[in-house]
Amino acid sequence: MTTETEVKKRKISRIEDILNNDVWDVDYEPHIIVDYSKCRKCEWKPCIRLCPAECYTMVGGEVLFSYEGCLECGTCRVICPEKAVKWEYPKSGRGIHYRFS
Amino acid sequence: MKHIEKRFDAIVVGAGPAGATAAYQLAKMGYKTLLLERGRTPGSKSMFGGRVYIRPLKDIYEDFEKKAPIHRWVKKERISLVYDESATTIEYTSNKTTSFTTYLTQLSHWMANQAVEQGAILLTEIRVDRLYKEGGRYRGVVVEDEVVKSDVVIDAEGINRLLLEREGIVEKLSPDHVALGVKEVIKLEPDTINNLFGLDNNEGLSWILMGDVTDGIPGGAFIYTNRDSVSLGIVVLLGEAARRIDRHIYILVEELRSHPLLYKYFKDGRIMEYSTHLIPEDPSRLMPKKLYYDGLMIVGDAAGLLLNQGYTYRGVDFAAYSGYIAAKAYEKAHGNGGASEENLKIYQKMLEESFVMKMLRKFSSVSRLMKKERLFSTYPQLINLLASKLMHIEYDSYKLKEAFDEARKGRVGLIHIIKDLWEVSRKL
Repeated sequence: MTTETEVKKRKISRIEDILNNDVWDVDYEPHIIVDYSKCRKCEWKPCIRLCPAECYTMVGGEVLFSYEGCLECGTCRVICPEKAVKWEYPKSGRGIHYRFS
Repeated sequence: MKHIEKRFDAIVVGAGPAGATAAYQLAKMGYKTLLLERGRTPGSKSMFGGRVYIRPLKDIYEDFEKKAPIHRWVKKERISLVYDESATTIEYTSNKTTSFTTYLTQLSHWMANQAVEQGAILLTEIRVDRLYKEGGRYRGVVVEDEVVKSDVVIDAEGINRLLLEREGIVEKLSPDHVALGVKEVIKLEPDTINNLFGLDNNEGLSWILMGDVTDGIPGGAFIYTNRDSVSLGIVVLLGEAARRIDRHIYILVEELRSHPLLYKYFKDGRIMEYSTHLIPEDPSRLMPKKLYYDGLMIVGDAAGLLLNQGYTYRGVDFAAYSGYIAAKAYEKAHGNGGASEENLKIYQKMLEESFVMKMLRKFSSVSRLMKKERLFSTYPQLINLLASKLMHIEYDSYKLKEAFDEARKGRVGLIHIIKDLWEVSRKL
């Protein structure tokens, strides 16, 4: 059984550090375009918590999207209540390159 | 638009398990087959939980169990109901096994290589932009303004059906029809894995956890032992997650990794990869009205062909088998004069008669059952409270009935328990 001290020591990693283990060939153009004017109308913003790669963050009260760390799962496209996400796969050969999944 | 006049019998879009298997079988039967994959290598966009059921694959690939990239044979099956820092577990161990663990990245790659060995042409780093139509019939694909023609197209594009949506064949995915899987692969030495989980070399563990692992959101967690790593992750119904999650989803995976009951397994490991994928959850809603059109067949996740049995998924074997059947159907259509809609109808018919559709029909109410909240919060709690009353003995001991009554007091009525048991026993 795990000892109490070990449990206290246990660390939850930061998402940045976890994502650092992945490999991408990042395209110079984004494959996802977010219409921020629609985000401003959205109070719910499920993308912030549900994008597994945390591509959607809140900066100064506004949604900020960055495509570089995208894992191409399609979650944002499916859950966006405002249909603000224009979603394509990255161009040929670009994007996430899984090795051990 | 440039037209490439070399004409293929079949173009397969996507080198996952469904597409690669379709291409393998088509090439094996002598058809000129082009397999297109948007990733840099086949498999580089593939992700799954970690376990494959082998039986259907043995019908398709010769000596599959000897040649395929199998990590470990699942000989230990655990299902745990988790509440707080306790878990009640059923474990089944047997030397008989029908499934193995692997990386889907490796298995997809292997399958695509089998297709190439049979003569299929594999082109990677090719993103198909849309399906090509000629006189109302599907006759190829469009890649960056170039048309590549074929007699038939097999759509194995996966769960995000951009091509089929563009054609108006399917509607945009609803969050209530899919689940989200997020996983970490943790590097551990094979000996360490063997010692920690009580396994021999090549023996694997499948461990499903339900209850306090998804913040009460319908879904669960999984742990699979690979050769020299362990896959651990969570699956949540996306619609429910969107409505109820109150922190970032990756934290659920991290809390699983650092859970008091699980921490000892992972503390010496490092994360090798973090990956995520959508999972078809409700085949009856996801499946296109028909899986064949003039010059087109739809296979795998794109067709919604994944079985959720509640305590396990069958994705890879279903996907591969649908690709296999599509190839066989093409052979029949070809023999009858070509890939017309009428001739490709046989694909749907063969699929209906196979275990794929039979099982999907048989388990069609599981996805509704999975939305029952009591299964994911109340019962794991009740069972663990019951166990704690029976096991944590100090002065006074509990009789079973006494412990049960106290555990359920104020939580769930007997009538509900009986109704739920009845429902679970019928639907699962």
